[in-house]
Amino acid sequence: MENMNIINKDVNIVAYYFHNRGRRLRCYPKRMEWGGRSIDFTEAGLRHPTKKGQRMVHVFDMSDGSADYRLEFDAEALSWTLVSIAETTYAPSFRATVTA
Amino acid sequence: MRQVSELRSQLNPAEPRLLHIDLNSCFATVEQQARPSLRGRPLGVTNRLTKNACVVAASYEAKALGVKVGMTFGEAKLFAPDLIMVETDPPKYHYVYQILVGIMRSYSPKITMKSIDEGVIDFAGTELVNNRPLPEIGYEIKQRLKDEVGRWMTCNVGIAPNRFLAKLAASLHKPDGLDLIDHTNLRQVLAGLQLTDLSGIAERNQARLNAAGIYTCLQFLDAPAELLHHRVFRSVCGDDWYQRLRGWEVDDFESATKTVGRQFVLDEMRPTEEFIRSRLSYLCETTAMKLRYKNLCARGVHIYVRYAGGDYWYERRMFKSTFFSNAEVYRRATLLFNRRPRGQFEREIGISCYGLDPSKLNQVSLLDEVNREAWLTEAVDQINSQFGEFTVTFAASLSAKGTVKQKIPFGSTRYFELLCNRA
Repeated sequence: MENMNIINKDVNIVAYYFHNRGRRLRCYPKRMEWGGRSIDFTEAGLRHPTKKGQRMVHVFDMSDGSADYRLEFDAEALSWTLVSIAETTYAPSFRATVTA
Repeated sequence: MRQVSELRSQLNPAEPRLLHIDLNSCFATVEQQARPSLRGRPLGVTNRLTKNACVVAASYEAKALGVKVGMTFGEAKLFAPDLIMVETDPPKYHYVYQILVGIMRSYSPKITMKSIDEGVIDFAGTELVNNRPLPEIGYEIKQRLKDEVGRWMTCNVGIAPNRFLAKLAASLHKPDGLDLIDHTNLRQVLAGLQLTDLSGIAERNQARLNAAGIYTCLQFLDAPAELLHHRVFRSVCGDDWYQRLRGWEVDDFESATKTVGRQFVLDEMRPTEEFIRSRLSYLCETTAMKLRYKNLCARGVHIYVRYAGGDYWYERRMFKSTFFSNAEVYRRATLLFNRRPRGQFEREIGISCYGLDPSKLNQVSLLDEVNREAWLTEAVDQINSQFGEFTVTFAASLSAKGTVKQKIPFGSTRYFELLCNRA
């Protein structure tokens, strides 16, 4: 099973915005301040929009190399929420085992 | 009726103009794309994180260890002890689906989504715009998918003169393959396949073919139309297979919605009456929502119960008046549900509405109570649309609200928007 911890707490995020081939600016969270810690994201998984009633919420799946974080950005309230953290204490990667 | 002699017996010599795109292990790949730590690991996606829930999608790493779609989590763990199971996340798949549709639409207005993870682009008539060879466009689509979704996303592309062969071509080299089938290499491709590799030929059809002395795909291709029509399939299906295998199009049609429904395997081994009613009420609400989403109303209700001992009971009834509201679906379903045999514990319940007609909500009725029901339903739908589904709901459905989750539809994507609003 999954080792997922549900958090659902507001967090402070430093985000980068990129030009997206002439379309709207694309946002990527870079650093998160949470629980007295600073977490620097090293990889973005998937960013997808979803709706909560009429509110548009952007979901970001981010990774800092040791855990996966799910963040939600409320486009109306302009607030960031840390939804969950999945610790990555899995067995060695299958592909890594095969190549070794 | 079509005569067997009218069937086209030669291979279709036309240039392939259909391109079939199939996302590889779609849900599992999307999850791996979303969470980098899952990449390269055996991963299963399930609708419920319980021991007996089945794997609805497995990553290629899990498939390499023997995990198959449809296995329970317990069975899959025997093959892959390090298997990681995650629950389905419909908005994610919907996002990828929308990107795929956008990419496909940029090439041709005539696209058909066969399911969440596969679709067909018909390039016929777009030669002036798409004057490049289709394999080149296929590789471009693969790259665009990686650029727009992420580098872990892969897809298979199949190019052929008809839908069946295009799907077959897309299944030849998984994952991340691209194949073309036309009249020049059709026999060569079929020679390397088994009958069950063909989409639409499973155990029973294979047995039918075997009974007529057909054991290989080439024998199937060379079989006379009369044999397929009269002895193997005993219907026009035989004619369709005769043409389909030769590259002629017989599958370009859309089927109309005949029924709308939901079913649920109960999450309690010894359910009480109150417990079952709450699940039934929830299923009725979601069924009515589906009806209204499709702008339909129904006249018939079909309800079934599967018991713990394996027994099965169903009843259906066609009513004189049409209905569309949550309360009416629940009332009519309860009429039938109360007649079920007692004495065993229920394991699964299902409800579906049939006798579908276009919705009459626009027409004000002469009967005041019908109008009041329509206006109330409309008002509740508006509140739920504004603040999220099930903001206003039956009290009876409350306990089921967090438990009965909308599952991912494998075939049709007709309720995908509705599903994502609810997720």
